[in-house]
Amino acid sequence: MKAFLKHLLVQLKMDIRERGTLMTYYLVPLIFYFVMGAVFSSTNPLSRQTLSATMVIFSVTMGAVMGIPAPIVKMRETGVLRAYLVCGIPGWAVLFIHSLSAFLHLLIVSIIIFITAPLFFGAAYPKSFPAYFLALFILLFSSIAIGIFIGVAARSQSVGMMFSQAIFLPTVMLSGIMFPAAMLPVPLRLFGWSSSCNLYYELIFRFRKLG
Amino acid sequence: MCRSDEGTMSVKGFNPQVDGRKLRQVLGVQLQASSLPDVIRPKEAMALICSWHGLSPRFDILTRFGIDYQSKKQYHEMSTGQKRRLHLALSLACDPAVVILDEPTAGLDVEGRARFHASIRELKAAGVTIILATHDMAEAESLCDRIAIIIKGRIASCGTPAQITSAGQSETRITLRTKRNCLLPGRDMGCAHFLKQTEEYGVWLCRDTAEAVMELLKEVRKSGDSVEDLRVERPSLEERFLELIEGGAHQ
Repeated sequence: MKAFLKHLLVQLKMDIRERGTLMTYYLVPLIFYFVMGAVFSSTNPLSRQTLSATMVIFSVTMGAVMGIPAPIVKMRETGVLRAYLVCGIPGWAVLFIHSLSAFLHLLIVSIIIFITAPLFFGAAYPKSFPAYFLALFILLFSSIAIGIFIGVAARSQSVGMMFSQAIFLPTVMLSGIMFPAAMLPVPLRLFGWSSSCNLYYELIFRFRKLG
Repeated sequence: MCRSDEGTMSVKGFNPQVDGRKLRQVLGVQLQASSLPDVIRPKEAMALICSWHGLSPRFDILTRFGIDYQSKKQYHEMSTGQKRRLHLALSLACDPAVVILDEPTAGLDVEGRARFHASIRELKAAGVTIILATHDMAEAESLCDRIAIIIKGRIASCGTPAQITSAGQSETRITLRTKRNCLLPGRDMGCAHFLKQTEEYGVWLCRDTAEAVMELLKEVRKSGDSVEDLRVERPSLEERFLELIEGGAHQ
Protein backbone atom coordinates (compact mmCIF):
# COMPACT_ATOMS: atom_id res chain seq x y z
CA MET A 1 0.00 0.00 0.00
CA LYS A 2 2.89 2.33 0.88
CA ALA A 3 4.52 1.58 -2.46
CA PHE A 4 1.22 2.17 -4.20
CA LEU A 5 0.73 5.59 -2.59
CA LYS A 6 4.34 6.55 -3.27
CA HIS A 7 3.90 5.61 -6.92
CA LEU A 8 0.68 7.62 -7.13
CA LEU A 9 2.40 10.66 -5.62
CA VAL A 10 5.30 10.44 -8.09
CA GLN A 11 2.83 9.96 -10.95
CA LEU A 12 0.87 13.08 -9.96
CA LYS A 13 4.09 15.10 -9.74
CA MET A 14 5.10 13.89 -13.19
CA ASP A 15 1.66 14.72 -14.60
CA ILE A 16 2.04 18.29 -13.40
CA ARG A 17 5.42 18.57 -15.14
CA GLU A 18 4.16 16.97 -18.36
CA ARG A 19 2.84 19.61 -20.78
CA GLY A 20 0.84 17.11 -22.86
CA THR A 21 -1.04 15.92 -19.79
CA LEU A 22 -1.80 19.46 -18.67
CA MET A 23 -3.06 20.30 -22.16
CA THR A 24 -5.44 17.35 -22.53
CA TYR A 25 -6.65 17.22 -18.93
CA TYR A 26 -6.87 20.91 -18.10
CA LEU A 27 -5.98 23.56 -20.67
CA VAL A 28 -7.97 22.51 -23.77
CA PRO A 29 -11.15 21.37 -21.92
CA LEU A 30 -11.20 24.48 -19.74
CA ILE A 31 -10.60 26.88 -22.65
CA PHE A 32 -13.33 25.06 -24.61
CA TYR A 33 -15.60 25.31 -21.58
CA PHE A 34 -15.06 29.03 -21.10
CA VAL A 35 -15.51 29.84 -24.82
CA MET A 36 -18.47 27.53 -25.44
CA GLY A 37 -20.00 28.37 -22.07
CA ALA A 38 -20.07 32.05 -23.05
CA VAL A 39 -21.44 31.25 -26.53
CA PHE A 40 -24.12 28.75 -25.39
CA SER A 41 -25.32 30.81 -22.45
CA SER A 42 -25.66 34.01 -24.51
CA THR A 43 -27.15 32.50 -27.69
CA ASN A 44 -29.52 30.05 -26.04
CA PRO A 45 -30.49 30.81 -22.43
CA LEU A 46 -32.15 27.37 -22.19
CA SER A 47 -28.72 25.73 -22.51
CA ARG A 48 -27.86 27.05 -19.04
CA GLN A 49 -29.98 24.18 -17.67
CA THR A 50 -27.53 21.61 -19.02
CA LEU A 51 -24.35 23.67 -19.44
CA SER A 52 -22.52 22.32 -16.42
CA ALA A 53 -23.31 18.69 -17.29
CA THR A 54 -22.48 18.95 -21.01
CA MET A 55 -19.18 20.71 -20.37
CA VAL A 56 -18.25 18.10 -17.76
CA ILE A 57 -19.08 15.30 -20.21
CA PHE A 58 -16.97 16.96 -22.89
CA SER A 59 -14.01 17.50 -20.55
CA VAL A 60 -14.10 14.01 -19.07
CA THR A 61 -14.51 12.36 -22.47
CA MET A 62 -11.70 14.38 -23.96
CA GLY A 63 -9.34 13.87 -21.03
CA ALA A 64 -9.99 10.15 -20.77
CA VAL A 65 -10.30 9.12 -24.42
CA MET A 66 -7.70 11.50 -25.86
CA GLY A 67 -5.38 11.90 -22.86
CA ILE A 68 -4.98 8.45 -21.32
CA PRO A 69 -3.98 6.22 -24.28
CA ALA A 70 -0.94 8.20 -25.53
CA PRO A 71 1.19 7.95 -22.34
CA ILE A 72 0.39 4.24 -22.00
CA VAL A 73 1.39 3.46 -25.59
CA LYS A 74 4.48 5.67 -25.20
CA MET A 75 5.47 3.78 -22.05
CA ARG A 76 5.36 0.54 -23.98
CA GLU A 77 7.12 1.91 -27.06
CA THR A 78 9.99 3.61 -25.25
CA GLY A 79 10.72 0.77 -22.84
CA VAL A 80 9.50 2.50 -19.66
CA LEU A 81 7.11 -0.36 -18.96
CA ARG A 82 9.94 -2.90 -19.45
CA ALA A 83 12.15 -0.93 -17.08
CA TYR A 84 9.36 -0.86 -14.47
CA LEU A 85 8.72 -4.59 -14.82
CA VAL A 86 12.38 -5.60 -14.40
CA CYS A 87 12.64 -3.30 -11.39
CA GLY A 88 9.79 -5.20 -9.73
CA ILE A 89 6.83 -2.90 -10.42
CA PRO A 90 3.83 -4.99 -11.55
CA GLY A 91 2.23 -4.07 -14.87
CA TRP A 92 -1.27 -3.94 -13.37
CA ALA A 93 -0.07 -1.39 -10.81
CA VAL A 94 1.28 0.88 -13.54
CA LEU A 95 -2.08 0.82 -15.34
CA PHE A 96 -4.08 1.23 -12.14
CA ILE A 97 -2.00 4.22 -11.02
CA HIS A 98 -2.41 5.81 -14.44
CA SER A 99 -6.17 5.35 -14.16
CA LEU A 100 -6.23 6.74 -10.64
CA SER A 101 -4.19 9.82 -11.50
CA ALA A 102 -6.41 10.43 -14.55
CA PHE A 103 -9.46 10.05 -12.31
CA LEU A 104 -8.13 12.70 -9.91
CA HIS A 105 -7.25 15.17 -12.69
CA LEU A 106 -10.61 14.76 -14.42
CA LEU A 107 -12.44 15.03 -11.12
CA ILE A 108 -10.65 18.33 -10.43
CA VAL A 109 -11.65 19.69 -13.87
CA SER A 110 -15.25 18.52 -13.33
CA ILE A 111 -15.39 20.28 -9.96
CA ILE A 112 -13.92 23.48 -11.46
CA ILE A 113 -16.68 23.43 -14.09
CA PHE A 114 -19.34 22.51 -11.55
CA ILE A 115 -18.39 25.45 -9.31
CA THR A 116 -17.69 28.10 -11.96
CA ALA A 117 -20.50 27.42 -14.47
CA PRO A 118 -23.24 28.91 -12.23
CA LEU A 119 -20.97 31.83 -11.23
CA PHE A 120 -19.78 32.81 -14.72
CA PHE A 121 -22.60 31.70 -17.00
CA GLY A 122 -25.61 31.45 -14.70
CA ALA A 123 -25.79 27.67 -15.20
CA ALA A 124 -28.32 25.80 -13.12
CA TYR A 125 -27.23 23.66 -10.19
CA PRO A 126 -28.34 20.01 -10.33
CA LYS A 127 -31.51 19.10 -8.49
CA SER A 128 -29.81 16.25 -6.65
CA PHE A 129 -26.14 16.61 -5.79
CA PRO A 130 -25.58 12.94 -4.80
CA ALA A 131 -27.21 11.72 -8.03
CA TYR A 132 -25.15 14.21 -10.05
CA PHE A 133 -21.88 13.03 -8.52
CA LEU A 134 -22.90 9.37 -8.79
CA ALA A 135 -23.49 9.89 -12.51
CA LEU A 136 -20.20 11.80 -12.74
CA PHE A 137 -18.29 8.92 -11.12
CA ILE A 138 -19.90 6.41 -13.49
CA LEU A 139 -18.94 8.63 -16.41
CA LEU A 140 -15.38 8.92 -15.08
CA PHE A 141 -15.00 5.17 -14.58
CA SER A 142 -16.41 4.25 -17.98
CA SER A 143 -14.46 6.93 -19.87
CA ILE A 144 -11.20 6.00 -18.14
CA ALA A 145 -11.83 2.32 -18.85
CA ILE A 146 -12.21 3.13 -22.57
CA GLY A 147 -9.03 5.26 -22.47
CA ILE A 148 -7.09 2.45 -20.79
CA PHE A 149 -8.49 -0.09 -23.26
CA ILE A 150 -7.31 2.01 -26.22
CA GLY A 151 -3.89 2.48 -24.59
CA VAL A 152 -3.48 -1.26 -24.04
CA ALA A 153 -4.87 -2.33 -27.42
CA ALA A 154 -3.16 0.21 -29.70
CA ARG A 155 0.12 -0.99 -31.18
CA SER A 156 1.55 2.47 -31.76
CA GLN A 157 0.86 6.06 -30.79
CA SER A 158 -0.55 6.88 -34.23
CA VAL A 159 -2.96 3.91 -34.06
CA GLY A 160 -3.91 4.94 -30.52
CA MET A 161 -4.61 8.50 -31.69
CA MET A 162 -6.76 7.13 -34.53
CA PHE A 163 -8.79 4.96 -32.14
CA SER A 164 -9.20 7.88 -29.75
CA GLN A 165 -10.45 10.18 -32.49
CA ALA A 166 -12.77 7.46 -33.82
CA ILE A 167 -14.42 7.19 -30.42
CA PHE A 168 -14.17 10.77 -29.21
CA LEU A 169 -15.54 12.67 -32.21
CA PRO A 170 -18.74 10.63 -32.80
CA THR A 171 -19.33 10.52 -29.04
CA VAL A 172 -19.17 14.29 -28.75
CA MET A 173 -20.78 15.21 -32.06
CA LEU A 174 -23.60 12.71 -32.30
CA SER A 175 -24.54 11.88 -28.74
CA GLY A 176 -26.44 15.06 -28.07
CA ILE A 177 -24.22 17.16 -25.82
CA MET A 178 -23.55 19.80 -28.51
CA PHE A 179 -27.08 19.81 -29.93
CA PRO A 180 -30.16 17.61 -29.45
CA ALA A 181 -29.62 14.18 -31.04
CA ALA A 182 -33.27 14.18 -32.09
CA MET A 183 -32.44 16.95 -34.60
CA LEU A 184 -29.97 14.71 -36.44
CA PRO A 185 -30.95 12.88 -39.64
CA VAL A 186 -31.97 9.28 -38.92
CA PRO A 187 -28.80 7.62 -40.31
CA LEU A 188 -26.58 9.87 -38.21
CA ARG A 189 -28.79 9.31 -35.17
CA LEU A 190 -28.43 5.56 -35.68
CA PHE A 191 -24.69 6.00 -36.22
CA GLY A 192 -24.55 7.98 -33.00
CA TRP A 193 -26.25 5.12 -31.23
CA SER A 194 -24.01 2.48 -32.74
CA SER A 195 -20.64 4.25 -32.81
CA SER A 196 -20.67 6.12 -29.54
CA CYS A 197 -21.12 4.13 -26.37
CA ASN A 198 -24.71 3.61 -25.35
CA LEU A 199 -23.58 4.17 -21.83
CA TYR A 200 -22.52 7.70 -22.67
CA TYR A 201 -25.80 8.34 -24.37
CA GLU A 202 -27.74 7.13 -21.36
CA LEU A 203 -25.54 9.08 -18.98
CA ILE A 204 -26.01 12.26 -20.95
CA PHE A 205 -29.76 11.92 -20.51
CA ARG A 206 -29.31 11.21 -16.83
CA PHE A 207 -27.13 14.31 -16.55
CA ARG A 208 -29.67 16.37 -18.33
CA LYS A 209 -32.43 15.24 -16.06
CA LEU A 210 -30.26 15.88 -13.04
CA GLY A 211 -29.07 19.22 -14.42
CA MET B 1 10.50 -15.44 -20.46
CA CYS B 2 10.83 -18.51 -22.70
CA ARG B 3 9.83 -21.83 -21.16
CA SER B 4 12.71 -24.27 -20.94
CA ASP B 5 12.46 -27.36 -23.18
CA GLU B 6 14.23 -29.51 -20.62
CA GLY B 7 16.34 -29.33 -17.47
CA THR B 8 16.02 -26.94 -14.56
CA MET B 9 17.28 -23.45 -13.94
CA SER B 10 18.28 -21.95 -10.63
CA VAL B 11 19.37 -18.40 -9.82
CA LYS B 12 20.43 -18.01 -6.20
CA GLY B 13 18.25 -20.98 -5.37
CA PHE B 14 15.16 -19.65 -7.15
CA ASN B 15 13.59 -21.07 -10.27
CA PRO B 16 12.90 -18.04 -12.53
CA GLN B 17 9.83 -19.71 -14.01
CA VAL B 18 8.20 -20.37 -10.64
CA ASP B 19 9.68 -17.93 -8.11
CA GLY B 20 9.70 -14.79 -10.27
CA ARG B 21 8.69 -12.47 -7.45
CA LYS B 22 11.24 -13.82 -4.96
CA LEU B 23 13.91 -13.81 -7.63
CA ARG B 24 13.40 -10.09 -8.26
CA GLN B 25 14.54 -9.45 -4.68
CA VAL B 26 18.00 -10.85 -5.45
CA LEU B 27 18.28 -10.02 -9.13
CA GLY B 28 19.12 -6.67 -10.74
CA VAL B 29 18.54 -6.15 -14.44
CA GLN B 30 19.63 -3.38 -16.76
CA LEU B 31 18.12 -3.73 -20.20
CA GLN B 32 19.66 -2.36 -23.37
CA ALA B 33 16.41 -0.78 -24.57
CA SER B 34 14.73 0.65 -21.54
CA SER B 35 13.79 4.08 -20.42
CA LEU B 36 12.05 6.07 -17.71
CA PRO B 37 9.37 8.76 -18.00
CA ASP B 38 10.91 11.92 -19.48
CA VAL B 39 9.96 14.10 -16.53
CA ILE B 40 10.97 11.83 -13.65
CA ARG B 41 13.91 12.88 -11.47
CA PRO B 42 16.65 10.41 -10.38
CA LYS B 43 15.63 10.82 -6.76
CA GLU B 44 12.00 10.01 -7.53
CA ALA B 45 12.94 7.01 -9.67
CA MET B 46 15.06 5.57 -6.87
CA ALA B 47 12.37 6.25 -4.25
CA LEU B 48 9.77 4.60 -6.50
CA ILE B 49 11.76 1.43 -7.14
CA CYS B 50 12.80 1.12 -3.49
CA SER B 51 9.21 1.53 -2.31
CA TRP B 52 8.14 -1.43 -4.48
CA HIS B 53 10.94 -3.47 -2.91
CA GLY B 54 9.75 -2.38 0.55
CA LEU B 55 13.01 -0.51 1.22
CA SER B 56 13.94 3.03 2.19
CA PRO B 57 15.29 5.04 -0.76
CA ARG B 58 18.91 4.11 -1.55
CA PHE B 59 20.24 7.54 -2.52
CA ASP B 60 23.73 6.37 -1.53
CA ILE B 61 23.80 4.21 -4.68
CA LEU B 62 23.05 7.26 -6.84
CA THR B 63 25.91 9.14 -5.20
CA ARG B 64 28.21 6.13 -5.71
CA PHE B 65 27.53 6.24 -9.45
CA GLY B 66 28.09 9.96 -9.71
CA ILE B 67 24.44 11.01 -9.98
CA ASP B 68 23.48 14.09 -8.01
CA TYR B 69 20.20 13.00 -6.45
CA GLN B 70 19.47 16.49 -5.12
CA SER B 71 19.52 17.82 -8.67
CA LYS B 72 16.23 18.90 -10.25
CA LYS B 73 17.39 17.45 -13.56
CA GLN B 74 14.74 15.37 -15.26
CA TYR B 75 15.41 12.10 -17.08
CA HIS B 76 15.19 13.66 -20.56
CA GLU B 77 17.79 16.26 -19.60
CA MET B 78 20.37 13.64 -18.61
CA SER B 79 23.19 12.50 -20.90
CA THR B 80 23.21 8.93 -22.25
CA GLY B 81 25.99 8.03 -19.81
CA GLN B 82 24.07 9.43 -16.85
CA LYS B 83 20.95 7.53 -17.91
CA ARG B 84 22.89 4.27 -18.17
CA ARG B 85 24.39 4.81 -14.72
CA LEU B 86 20.98 5.68 -13.33
CA HIS B 87 19.53 2.42 -14.70
CA LEU B 88 22.47 0.53 -13.23
CA ALA B 89 21.91 2.24 -9.87
CA LEU B 90 18.19 1.36 -10.00
CA SER B 91 19.00 -2.26 -10.75
CA LEU B 92 21.08 -2.32 -7.56
CA ALA B 93 18.37 -0.85 -5.35
CA CYS B 94 17.54 -4.22 -3.81
CA ASP B 95 21.21 -5.12 -3.16
CA PRO B 96 21.06 -7.95 -5.68
CA ALA B 97 23.40 -10.91 -5.58
CA VAL B 98 23.18 -11.27 -9.36
CA VAL B 99 23.06 -8.43 -11.89
CA ILE B 100 22.27 -8.86 -15.58
CA LEU B 101 23.57 -6.11 -17.85
CA ASP B 102 22.50 -6.08 -21.49
CA GLU B 103 24.82 -4.02 -23.71
CA PRO B 104 25.34 -1.50 -20.91
CA THR B 105 27.85 0.69 -22.76
CA ALA B 106 26.23 0.79 -26.20
CA GLY B 107 26.16 4.37 -27.43
CA LEU B 108 28.41 5.78 -24.71
CA ASP B 109 31.38 8.03 -25.43
CA VAL B 110 34.93 7.11 -24.34
CA GLU B 111 34.69 8.84 -20.97
CA GLY B 112 31.23 7.41 -20.29
CA ARG B 113 32.46 3.92 -21.09
CA ALA B 114 35.48 4.27 -18.83
CA ARG B 115 33.28 5.46 -15.93
CA PHE B 116 30.80 2.68 -16.52
CA HIS B 117 33.57 0.08 -16.64
CA ALA B 118 34.91 1.42 -13.35
CA SER B 119 31.41 1.03 -11.84
CA ILE B 120 31.20 -2.56 -13.05
CA ARG B 121 34.64 -3.35 -11.58
CA GLU B 122 33.51 -1.84 -8.28
CA LEU B 123 30.49 -4.13 -8.24
CA LYS B 124 32.65 -7.09 -9.14
CA ALA B 125 34.99 -6.26 -6.26
CA ALA B 126 31.97 -6.13 -3.94
CA GLY B 127 31.24 -9.76 -4.78
CA VAL B 128 28.22 -9.25 -7.04
CA THR B 129 27.84 -11.82 -9.81
CA ILE B 130 27.53 -9.96 -13.10
CA ILE B 131 26.18 -11.45 -16.30
CA LEU B 132 27.17 -9.09 -19.07
CA ALA B 133 25.78 -9.42 -22.59
CA THR B 134 27.90 -7.48 -25.06
CA HIS B 135 29.02 -7.37 -28.67
CA ASP B 136 32.13 -5.47 -27.67
CA MET B 137 34.86 -8.11 -27.45
CA ALA B 138 37.41 -5.73 -25.93
CA GLU B 139 34.93 -4.92 -23.18
CA ALA B 140 34.25 -8.59 -22.51
CA GLU B 141 37.98 -9.37 -22.49
CA SER B 142 38.78 -6.61 -20.01
CA LEU B 143 35.83 -7.06 -17.63
CA CYS B 144 34.89 -10.73 -17.59
CA ASP B 145 36.34 -13.66 -15.67
CA ARG B 146 34.49 -16.16 -17.82
CA ILE B 147 33.08 -15.71 -21.28
CA ALA B 148 30.55 -17.72 -23.26
CA ILE B 149 30.38 -16.96 -26.98
CA ILE B 150 26.86 -17.60 -28.21
CA ILE B 151 26.28 -18.13 -31.90
CA LYS B 152 22.75 -18.71 -33.20
CA GLY B 153 21.45 -19.32 -29.67
CA ARG B 154 24.05 -21.97 -28.74
CA ILE B 155 27.23 -21.69 -26.71
CA ALA B 156 30.06 -22.05 -29.22
CA SER B 157 32.88 -21.56 -26.74
CA CYS B 158 33.11 -21.05 -22.99
CA GLY B 159 35.98 -20.37 -20.61
CA THR B 160 38.30 -17.65 -19.39
CA PRO B 161 39.39 -15.06 -21.99
CA ALA B 162 42.83 -16.72 -22.15
CA GLN B 163 41.32 -20.19 -22.60
CA ILE B 164 39.05 -19.02 -25.40
CA THR B 165 41.73 -17.16 -27.33
CA SER B 166 44.29 -19.95 -26.95
CA ALA B 167 41.78 -22.56 -28.18
CA GLY B 168 41.60 -20.95 -31.62
CA GLN B 169 43.50 -21.61 -34.81
CA SER B 170 44.75 -18.01 -35.04
CA GLU B 171 48.47 -17.57 -34.76
CA THR B 172 50.45 -15.35 -32.42
CA ARG B 173 51.89 -12.26 -34.07
CA ILE B 174 55.52 -11.25 -33.42
CA THR B 175 56.56 -7.73 -34.44
CA LEU B 176 60.28 -6.98 -34.34
CA ARG B 177 62.56 -4.07 -35.18
CA THR B 178 66.35 -4.23 -35.02
CA LYS B 179 68.97 -1.50 -35.08
CA ARG B 180 70.42 -2.41 -38.50
CA ASN B 181 67.35 -4.18 -39.97
CA CYS B 182 69.24 -7.43 -40.23
CA LEU B 183 66.02 -9.45 -40.58
CA LEU B 184 64.71 -7.40 -43.48
CA PRO B 185 63.62 -8.16 -46.11
CA GLY B 186 61.89 -10.84 -44.09
CA ARG B 187 61.74 -14.59 -44.57
CA ASP B 188 60.45 -17.63 -42.68
CA MET B 189 62.66 -18.65 -39.81
CA GLY B 190 61.97 -22.01 -38.21
CA CYS B 191 58.40 -22.02 -37.01
CA ALA B 192 58.03 -18.22 -37.50
CA HIS B 193 56.31 -17.48 -40.80
CA PHE B 194 57.05 -14.08 -42.27
CA LEU B 195 53.85 -12.09 -42.85
CA LYS B 196 54.80 -8.56 -43.90
CA GLN B 197 57.12 -5.61 -43.46
CA THR B 198 55.73 -2.36 -42.06
CA GLU B 199 58.34 0.44 -42.29
CA GLU B 200 61.27 -0.88 -40.23
CA TYR B 201 59.23 -3.59 -38.55
CA GLY B 202 59.00 -7.20 -39.63
CA VAL B 203 55.90 -9.18 -38.71
CA TRP B 204 55.92 -12.98 -38.23
CA LEU B 205 53.14 -15.42 -37.33
CA CYS B 206 53.67 -18.55 -35.26
CA ARG B 207 51.92 -21.21 -33.19
CA ASP B 208 54.82 -21.96 -30.85
CA THR B 209 55.59 -18.48 -29.56
CA ALA B 210 58.62 -19.31 -27.40
CA GLU B 211 60.30 -21.30 -30.14
CA ALA B 212 59.66 -18.60 -32.77
CA VAL B 213 60.95 -15.76 -30.59
CA MET B 214 64.10 -17.72 -29.81
CA GLU B 215 64.70 -18.41 -33.53
CA LEU B 216 64.35 -14.72 -34.38
CA LEU B 217 66.60 -13.54 -31.53
CA LYS B 218 69.23 -16.15 -32.44
CA GLU B 219 69.28 -14.78 -35.99
CA VAL B 220 69.63 -11.21 -34.70
CA ARG B 221 72.54 -12.19 -32.47
CA LYS B 222 74.21 -14.15 -35.28
CA SER B 223 74.10 -11.03 -37.47
CA GLY B 224 75.69 -8.91 -34.71
CA ASP B 225 72.57 -6.72 -34.62
CA SER B 226 70.49 -5.71 -31.58
CA VAL B 227 66.76 -5.59 -30.89
CA GLU B 228 65.16 -2.17 -30.56
CA ASP B 229 61.49 -3.21 -30.21
CA LEU B 230 59.80 -6.56 -29.80
CA ARG B 231 56.05 -7.16 -29.42
CA VAL B 232 54.22 -10.43 -29.03
CA GLU B 233 50.45 -10.25 -29.53
CA ARG B 234 48.18 -13.17 -28.88
CA PRO B 235 45.04 -13.43 -31.02
CA SER B 236 42.37 -11.16 -29.56
CA LEU B 237 38.96 -12.34 -28.43
CA GLU B 238 37.51 -10.55 -31.43
CA GLU B 239 39.67 -12.61 -33.80
CA ARG B 240 38.62 -15.77 -31.98
CA PHE B 241 34.98 -14.73 -32.25
CA LEU B 242 35.30 -14.09 -35.99
CA GLU B 243 37.04 -17.43 -36.36
CA LEU B 244 34.11 -19.14 -34.63
CA ILE B 245 31.61 -17.28 -36.79
CA GLU B 246 33.50 -18.21 -39.96
CA GLY B 247 33.74 -21.80 -38.75
CA GLY B 248 29.99 -21.86 -38.20
CA ALA B 249 29.38 -20.35 -41.63
CA HIS B 250 31.57 -22.99 -43.32
CA GLN B 251 29.72 -25.77 -41.50
